[in-house]
Amino acid sequence: MAVLFIIPALLFVTLFMYYPILQTFIYSLFSLHRTADWLHAQFVGLQNYIAVMKSEAFRGAFGFTLYYTVMTVFFELAIGLGMAIATFSVHPRLRGILRAVLVVPWAIPPIVSAMLWRWLFHADAGIFGYLLTATGLVSKPPAFLTDPTLAVHSIIVASVWKNASMMGILLLAGLASIPQDIYDAAKVDGARTWFRFRRVTLPLLLPTILVTVLFRSLWALRMFEESYGLTGGGPGTTTDTLSTFAYKYFFTYARFGVGSAYAMVIFAMVVMVAIVYVNRVKGNLRFKE
Amino acid sequence: MNGELSNGRRSLKRWLLEGLVTLAIIGFCLGPLYWIFATSFKPMGTEYVIPPEFWPSKPTLQAYAVILGIQAPGAERASQEGALKGTTEIKASPHLNFLVPVRNSLIVSTSVSAGALLLASLAAYAISRLRFRWKIQSLMVLWVAGLLPAVIVIAPTFVLMRSLNLLRTLLAMILPNIAYNIPLTTWLLAVYFAQLPWELEDAAKMDGYRPLQIYRKVILPLSTPGLFSAGIFAFLGSWGEFMLASAVTMGVAEVQTVPVAILNLSFEYRYQWTWISAAICLSVGLMVLIALVFQRWVIQGLTAGSVKY
Repeated sequence: MAVLFIIPALLFVTLFMYYPILQTFIYSLFSLHRTADWLHAQFVGLQNYIAVMKSEAFRGAFGFTLYYTVMTVFFELAIGLGMAIATFSVHPRLRGILRAVLVVPWAIPPIVSAMLWRWLFHADAGIFGYLLTATGLVSKPPAFLTDPTLAVHSIIVASVWKNASMMGILLLAGLASIPQDIYDAAKVDGARTWFRFRRVTLPLLLPTILVTVLFRSLWALRMFEESYGLTGGGPGTTTDTLSTFAYKYFFTYARFGVGSAYAMVIFAMVVMVAIVYVNRVKGNLRFKE
Repeated sequence: MNGELSNGRRSLKRWLLEGLVTLAIIGFCLGPLYWIFATSFKPMGTEYVIPPEFWPSKPTLQAYAVILGIQAPGAERASQEGALKGTTEIKASPHLNFLVPVRNSLIVSTSVSAGALLLASLAAYAISRLRFRWKIQSLMVLWVAGLLPAVIVIAPTFVLMRSLNLLRTLLAMILPNIAYNIPLTTWLLAVYFAQLPWELEDAAKMDGYRPLQIYRKVILPLSTPGLFSAGIFAFLGSWGEFMLASAVTMGVAEVQTVPVAILNLSFEYRYQWTWISAAICLSVGLMVLIALVFQRWVIQGLTAGSVKY
């Protein structure tokens, strides 16, 4: 009887999420040009994977995806932690304002955030280029989005802006759940602020930090919109991620086999992080009976 | 940490420091948005003037008039287009109408929220209130789906929509997005339902109510805040969804949602940044407003949906 309540949700999730994984895996084993009709296509086994892994483009995208994940998650954590601690420490009236402000970047769709940053990084009229030249740091505005090294880091900056405040919100919740009497005890002992932070706050916050980092990594590994909107993968394919390649193979080149091989690689990476993440948080997935 | 001084009064230095820190965070979070906001009020062309004006000296609603179709995109643009299209049809440049994608996005997000809430609340009710075998396993199956990357499901979903003849329709976005939002909404609602008192439900059982009646007449009426906050997540999530929307709308302006339309606007009009800025302000304004007004629920949901579980 109770199962009837769950079946509609399971049906939707299976049809649009679990079955497509299987189908994508099947596509990845066939040679599919301008068709998705794998039943009449040539079975090529792992050929698509081998071709993908051998290609320079894949190695570039794989490297960029990993670099992007490490860099964004690190800086988002650093800035998010700073903002969380600041929000936690200021006067309650300011805290209310800050908490509201932190929600704003999160509420902006990723592709819209990418377009927004595209304007800020504009080569001729972008505000960053102007500020850098006006302060005399550089003689002419840098090519934020067309120089390979700059493009990579411009995308990272844009992502850090979009996600750091979300990290801040999660860490703020972690800070708020540390019992007040632990601080009071530390204060009585005469512990200085920095010492209290290192020896009391940080260790108690560590579980939250770990889960937050895992959670963000799950999303960073599949990054798509930031590259697609900000640089379109350019210059060349420097800022293409595994996801933008998969998407381009699907919908620009109509090669579902190769695209699916890319998608499966992302899937494998996400699954690896997800296993660690799920193991950390599943203890809380408990309901009566 | 926790800066309250023991005597309850703050020194001027402390206030100054806290004020500066607050300003810095506000600047970080809102600065980029301010720049887009200011750009959207600049007369066309002046956005490229160096040094840039931090607030336009002659603010205008021109960009908004153009993207809302009140004003034509301009004569030079029309002649360009005519030249590109050759001799077949030389028309004046068509009016833009950004209200079409806004309407589409509203339809998609509202339907997705309603659909996800319906399916998720049924599942969440069973998980939090009924006994059955495989309970934790079914919860896991629903929940883990929320961690899957979109790129792994996009191609088969596209093919499925094509075989159902749903490409270039809003339904092609609505149905999959309901599924994408079920994991989080189910989780949020299950947590919410679990903390409702059992007494009313027991009384309803005594009166011979069946589970479906209890769900409809006891649980749902008590859960408006929970449904609302879960609905906000489904709404915001589907409003910003880009990958699927871009694939299944296939460049047809009539069915594009806001994210796809903004990207297309920028490709089609060679980066007319006053227009793009106006479009961004129009489409993001509503989302930011929702997030700010329901800030407490958003924060609760975010935390429950990622860290706490």
